[in-house]
Order: sequence, then C-alpha cells, then structure tokens
Amino acid sequence: MIAVLALLAGVVLGLWLDPTVPAALQPYLPIAVVAALDAVFGGVRAKLDRIFDDKQFVVSFISNVLVAALIVYLGDQLGVGGQLSTGVVVVLGVRIFGNVAAIRRHLFRA
Amino acid sequence: MSERVGDDGEGRRGVRAFTPDFLTELFRNPLDPGYADAAAQRAKSGRPARPGWSVGPVSLVLVVLLGFLCAVAYRQTTAEEPGRAQARSGLVAQIKQRQTDTDALSVRADELREEVNRQREAALGGSQAARLRDLEASTGLGRVRGDGVVVRLADGPGGQDSLSGANVGPSQVLYSDLQGVANDLWGAGAEAIAINGQRLTATSTIRNAGQAILVDFRPVTGPYEVSAIGPDSMRKRYESSRSALTMRKVAQDTGLSFGVRDVDDLTLPAAPEPRLRYAEPAVSPSASPSGDDESSGSGTSPSPSGGGR
Repeated sequence: MIAVLALLAGVVLGLWLDPTVPAALQPYLPIAVVAALDAVFGGVRAKLDRIFDDKQFVVSFISNVLVAALIVYLGDQLGVGGQLSTGVVVVLGVRIFGNVAAIRRHLFRA
Repeated sequence: MSERVGDDGEGRRGVRAFTPDFLTELFRNPLDPGYADAAAQRAKSGRPARPGWSVGPVSLVLVVLLGFLCAVAYRQTTAEEPGRAQARSGLVAQIKQRQTDTDALSVRADELREEVNRQREAALGGSQAARLRDLEASTGLGRVRGDGVVVRLADGPGGQDSLSGANVGPSQVLYSDLQGVANDLWGAGAEAIAINGQRLTATSTIRNAGQAILVDFRPVTGPYEVSAIGPDSMRKRYESSRSALTMRKVAQDTGLSFGVRDVDDLTLPAAPEPRLRYAEPAVSPSASPSGDDESSGSGTSPSPSGGGR
C-alpha cells in the first residue's frame, strides 16, 4: 500500500515539477522507464513469492536502467540505435510479461 | 508456496549449468535469479523476511523515482507531439508553396516563350518562320493542335490478398506499358505525343521510381492518358500494334482498363525547354579516366539515363 502511495507521489511530483529533460538524454528516457518497469514487476513478483529483497530490488532497478540506457547509447554510436532499442524493449517486454503472468497466477490462482 | 519456488530455483540452476540458452531461460524464468539467491542466503543466516507488503526506505525512494520517471516520460512524449505535427504541416505548406511557385514560373516561362516566338516571327518573316515552327512542332518544343487518338490506361481495382489482407497489385499500369504505348504510337505515325499533358520529345524518359512513374523525371499518376496527334490512319495502325494487343489481353485478364478513342482537336503543350548539353574536347589525348568521371559528374556529358527511351 505504501508502495502504491509512493508511486502516486512520484507521478504527482513529476507532473507538478515538470522538469525539462536535457536533449542528450531524451532518447534514453523511454527505455529507462521500460527497464524500471521490468525491475518493479520483478520486485512485485518476488514479493508475492515471498523472496523479496530490498538490496536485490535496488540493485536490479538501477542496473536495469543504466544498462538499458548504455545499450541504446552504444547502439546510437554504432548506428544501430533503433534496432538495439527494439531488442532491449523486446527482452524487457518478455520479462515483464512473464512476471505479470506469475503475479496473475498468485493473485487469481489462474 | 515457498517450498515450490525453492525447488524451481534449484531445478533452474541445475538446468542452467547445462543449457546456457539465454532466450529459453528468459522465457522460462523471467525473475532475476538474485531474489532466489538472496532468499536462500536469508534462510541460511536465519534472518526473517520482511512481513506483508512493507518495503525498505531505499526501495520506496526508487518507487517514487519510477512514478517520477513515468510522469516525465509521459510529459516529454506529449510535449513532443505538437512539435512533430508542426514540423510536418510546415513541410507540407512548404511543398505546396513551392508547387504554386513552380506553376506560376512555368506559366511565366510559357508566356515568355510565346513572346519570343512572336518576336522571332516578326523578325524572320515568311518561309523561315514557318520552317522553324514545323521543326519546333516535330521536336516537341512547340504547342501543337490537331486530330488524333487518346489511349487511356488505368489501374485495376485494388485487389486484396485473401490470406494476408495486404494489397496485392498485379493490375497496375507499369512504366513499361506506357513506354510500349508511346513507342507504338510513334510507330503508327504519331507526330506528337503527350502523357497526362506532358509532351514527349526525342530525349524523354519514362521510368519508374518505387511506386511512381516518372515522365521526364516528373511523376504522373493514373489514370494515364497518352494523347497522340497524327494522321487518320494512325488509329487503325495502332490498334494492330503489339502494345495495343498486349494491353487488351492484359486488361481482359486483370481488370486493368485500356481504351483507345479518336479525339478531334487535341492540343498538346510544348515540352519544357531542353537542357542543352555541350560536348567538350578532352583536355589532352592522355586524359585519364578520372578526368572523364569528373566531366560526367558536372553534367556536361550526356548521362546514360538521359536518353534512355
């Protein structure tokens, strides 16, 4: 419950502060969000599996975001930025789907 | 429940040693293995897991950060949208503006050409002016009027593939069809030909670029009307030509439309002023191949595609 409130607080904060993203970071923001979502869904699933670990969650969140941004950055430098972004989104999407399916099994037993 | 997960984890680790297949692993177990490891360590050291739904303060900060990121990304995307639409409509407006400019300029060019013709005829007078007019008419540089035929070609109705639902277009007029029609009209004795109001000259090209058909590098769209001015016998001779027979058969088979009709008093516009190309002597007999490349790059020598027809 506290986590949901925290999420809402973050959204409100983002909408209220409305920070301008530096142009150099703009291409990495969506990828970073997807990577962060992957970490969060992993955390929720781990919570339901009763194996949640704060340190693991924090590390996976930060490393996910950084690695995803780094891969896209590398791709941009090598001229395959679009394709690598697609690859990152596919991998993260598969993981999110898998974790959401596990969460669904936990919640609805189906 | 935790028992089953533990089993899963061990089984997974066992399998992982033998099949290091990333994609299989990804699909089978999307959860970070670190959670299972941490749980195992916790079980070993006897520390209790956090009860219920509570999470540590650092995790809470991260969740706040996630909400923040989502909001910022959303703001960013919605803020970019009008910019993109603006750029697009700006480009469209520019294209329209340039098109009107081009139209106005070509009208002006036509006026000036008429003026030049009038002045020239006044200066030359008599038989020389008539000879010049005839030459201009036959080379496509002058506007011509007369009786002739109009060959009309149009794409068939857009068929849809029953399996994929994608548009399949076997019944489309190809640039080679237009080439064939134009060539056979010349062969049937046409004195002047225009495709969709675009006059053909001796150096005109009919080619395709992607989906579009270009006549003298200007796109023409269907339905295509090939107008030709020529003697009365032209219609009969054209009807028995190869392209007419082929196109009739194609039209029967594919639903593409093809028709030839007599039209009285056709007016065909003049072709745009030809770009004159000048031959230049090689600098020296020992001119290297690179010198040739240079001259063709600067457009002074006829390009191979220029007179492709």
